[in-house]
Amino acid sequence: MLKQSGYGIVIVIGLVLAALTVLEYFMAINHIGAALLMLVATLKAILVIYFFMHVSRLWTAEGGH
Amino acid sequence: MRIGSLGLVRGLVGYFAGLIVGMAVVVILRLALGMSAWDQEAVWVGGLISAIIGFLLGVGAMSDWLKWTRGIETPLHHGPPAGKPAWTRYFGVDYNHKVIGIQYGVTGLFLLVVGGSFALVFRTELADTGISFLQPGTYNTFLSMHAWVALASILLGVGGIANYLVPLMIGAEDMAFPRLNAFAYWINVPAIVTLLISMLFGWDSGWTAYPPLSLLGPVGYQMVFLAIFTIGLSSILGSLNLIVTMLMMRPKGMTLFRMPILCWAILATSIIQLTATQLIGQAFLMLSFERSLGMPFFKPIYDAAGVNIGGQPILFQHLFWFYSHPAVYVFVLPGLGVISELLPVFARKPLFGYRWVALSSLAIALVGFLVWGHHMFTSGYQPYLRVVFMISTLLVAVPTGVKFFSWLGTLWGGRLIFPTPMLFTLGAISVFLIGGLSGPILATAATDLFLHDTYFVVGHFHATIFGGFVFPFFAAIYYWYPKITGRMYNETLGKLHFWLMTPGFWLMSLAQMTAGTMGMRRRIADYDPALGVQNVQLLVTIAGFVIAFSILIMIYNLFTSAEIGVLAGNNPWRSRSPEWQIPSPVPEHSYARPISIVGEPYDYGLAGSSYVAMAGAGDD
Amino acid sequence: MAAITTAAQPTALHHDTHAGHDNYAAQLRMNRLGLWLFFISEAFLFGGLLATRFFLWGADTRPELDQTIGLIVTSVLLISSVSMRLAETAIERGNRRAFSIFILLTALFGLIFLAGVMVFEWGLFPSIYQGHLTPWDNKYGAVVFAMTGMHALHVISGIVFILIVWNLARKGSFSPERHWGVESCAIYWHYVDVVWIFFYPALYLIGNAVHIAAH
Repeated sequence: MLKQSGYGIVIVIGLVLAALTVLEYFMAINHIGAALLMLVATLKAILVIYFFMHVSRLWTAEGGH
Repeated sequence: MRIGSLGLVRGLVGYFAGLIVGMAVVVILRLALGMSAWDQEAVWVGGLISAIIGFLLGVGAMSDWLKWTRGIETPLHHGPPAGKPAWTRYFGVDYNHKVIGIQYGVTGLFLLVVGGSFALVFRTELADTGISFLQPGTYNTFLSMHAWVALASILLGVGGIANYLVPLMIGAEDMAFPRLNAFAYWINVPAIVTLLISMLFGWDSGWTAYPPLSLLGPVGYQMVFLAIFTIGLSSILGSLNLIVTMLMMRPKGMTLFRMPILCWAILATSIIQLTATQLIGQAFLMLSFERSLGMPFFKPIYDAAGVNIGGQPILFQHLFWFYSHPAVYVFVLPGLGVISELLPVFARKPLFGYRWVALSSLAIALVGFLVWGHHMFTSGYQPYLRVVFMISTLLVAVPTGVKFFSWLGTLWGGRLIFPTPMLFTLGAISVFLIGGLSGPILATAATDLFLHDTYFVVGHFHATIFGGFVFPFFAAIYYWYPKITGRMYNETLGKLHFWLMTPGFWLMSLAQMTAGTMGMRRRIADYDPALGVQNVQLLVTIAGFVIAFSILIMIYNLFTSAEIGVLAGNNPWRSRSPEWQIPSPVPEHSYARPISIVGEPYDYGLAGSSYVAMAGAGDD
Repeated sequence: MAAITTAAQPTALHHDTHAGHDNYAAQLRMNRLGLWLFFISEAFLFGGLLATRFFLWGADTRPELDQTIGLIVTSVLLISSVSMRLAETAIERGNRRAFSIFILLTALFGLIFLAGVMVFEWGLFPSIYQGHLTPWDNKYGAVVFAMTGMHALHVISGIVFILIVWNLARKGSFSPERHWGVESCAIYWHYVDVVWIFFYPALYLIGNAVHIAAH
């Protein structure tokens, strides 16, 4: 094991994602364009990919979990 | 030995058992939901999905994984199955990449013969005007089947080259995921059976299966959709495996730019197969759902006000060609890699511009993603797109030109020898040149508008595929035959094969293009005598039979030489590549000791240079 | 998927010294890369569906879907991702009890998501809820069912994967050092969530709702 992530950071990222989802919803009812909505979605996806799917283990963790 | 102990037999039993069970389940479900018992689309689709799963369970391609889900560990089995003759391992699930490579290659050759025979059938019809023995519907079925069976054979042939050679060339024991490798092969077999069954029901649109025609035709379409979806799944899983193998399992000292050049070609191919294949799977799935459930993806529906609230047929063309154009690079890139691999060996000179050749494969693969619209110049999409796709398509000529100049540079001043593999390599270059030079004519929108859907396209396509795949594939078969069997093929028969096939192909290709410019359309069973293409058509048919006959000579040669051929020794071609430094035929565990790489791969003729260092003394 | 193995493959690679450990590490690196390549491949499938959506609907129309349900199922899937990450953290710390709770919670949230889509969005049980769309009437229904259907298929396979992993853990598999089965299951689940992150605005938020009378 290289980095042991704690429970706390998971909850924080979850809250940020929830906030961004609510932001998307209000962007939509105020008719803010498709491109910006997709931008926020991309931001959410990056958060999930980095913190939840720990993509960096592909090139950092030498075989550890 | 009981015949039931062969995996293939058990798989086929599983296929037909699954078919019956699946059809019965659909019928029962329909009755339970209060519908009529028989609806051929739904019942066949349900039955065939179940049949494919039945095959995989019967052959045992998933048994290890199913055990893992229950926590049972399964060590990899090596060697032929216990208590059975060694040949039986080729007819069942085996995890050795060399066995799987042979399975791919032989199945590919078998399909090449089947698909080629279909072509001979409808070529005979075309030899003269008027309808002689094939009714137009049957003609179209043969023509469409020729296309998909031959394309499946190419995909399997590419799989054969890649699976057999990549681990050997990078000195790896096996592929990264041996079970996935076996699964990716075996999933092809039920798909092929399904594809062949579709012939009984017929389908008549040509391989492209454009809607709305493909939404209206007989139920054979559903089988084609399912079969191609399944073969696509095999491509995806196989290429995933190859990419991981090449990126993670190279020996010490083999940087990416010291890989054998064929590996670069396979890497570029795998990138296309991994990604673009999903789009044809999706497109055929959508067609299947539109036929079964009436989901309007491609068929327009107009409401009372005349607004289209349904789908658009042109969407299919976009999805289809997003795969099917890059797919031709899947077919040709490994072949071009074989050419680059073989030329330095037979010219005894370094490969000219190794890095450029390596990167040109990647460049072709990546540019290939941006060119699909050149198949749609006449489809009625926005006219400005023609310019965009024309420019991107012509860009492909640049990396392809890099390859041509590399081949010329390699040959220049070399001490050439001409055994059969070298002949086929040179034949490949000549044929690919015909295909390549006819390409820009079709890539240019202004000329394509006149040539679209004519025999010129047929001529261009067959020249690129024969030059890019079939000739190099035969070169590869002859070249690596001594490594696979330990014996040499018959050189006289090999040369006879070449001297029948190559002029035959030149004739066929040029005659097809001529017929096209004279106004002969594709995919029609009959043509107007006033076109004046009768003689040209007769030539194409005769050339087709000559090519077919020459391929039979090769198959005879391959079968007999395995028994009576001269023992070839470890390295008959004096190659520097790792696979030639080990015994022929390759033992069960290819490399007794890990190898390491100490030099450049293609420094032929440079004194004192070496590429592979085998651990342990006494190796030569 | 070749993903699930917990066993090192002794012959997959050449390693002369401490073969067991090195092989597991090497196999793990390959498994990770293989799974991510699978994700890249699948991205083209889901990207193709998104392209279909924009091709047929344009960026300025969308079907009339129930916004409340959209927000609820999206949130549920998001929470399931959080609980899945907590489950993985738990197994990394060797806390099997917390792992079991979190991973079953994830499966439960997954089932709630499925129920939300199938019962409410699809209207599979008209006695409970009358859906707005059918797959066959127009392009809106067809694309909604194609996108949610392909996604639901992945959610279902994710739930099956979770149950297999949970059962293996219950029988004593996986340790803080070796739990590729859990890791692959977890990142597969997150991947399905990432897909929905793009599908949610594409289906519910972008464009103006178009009302089409059934015919």
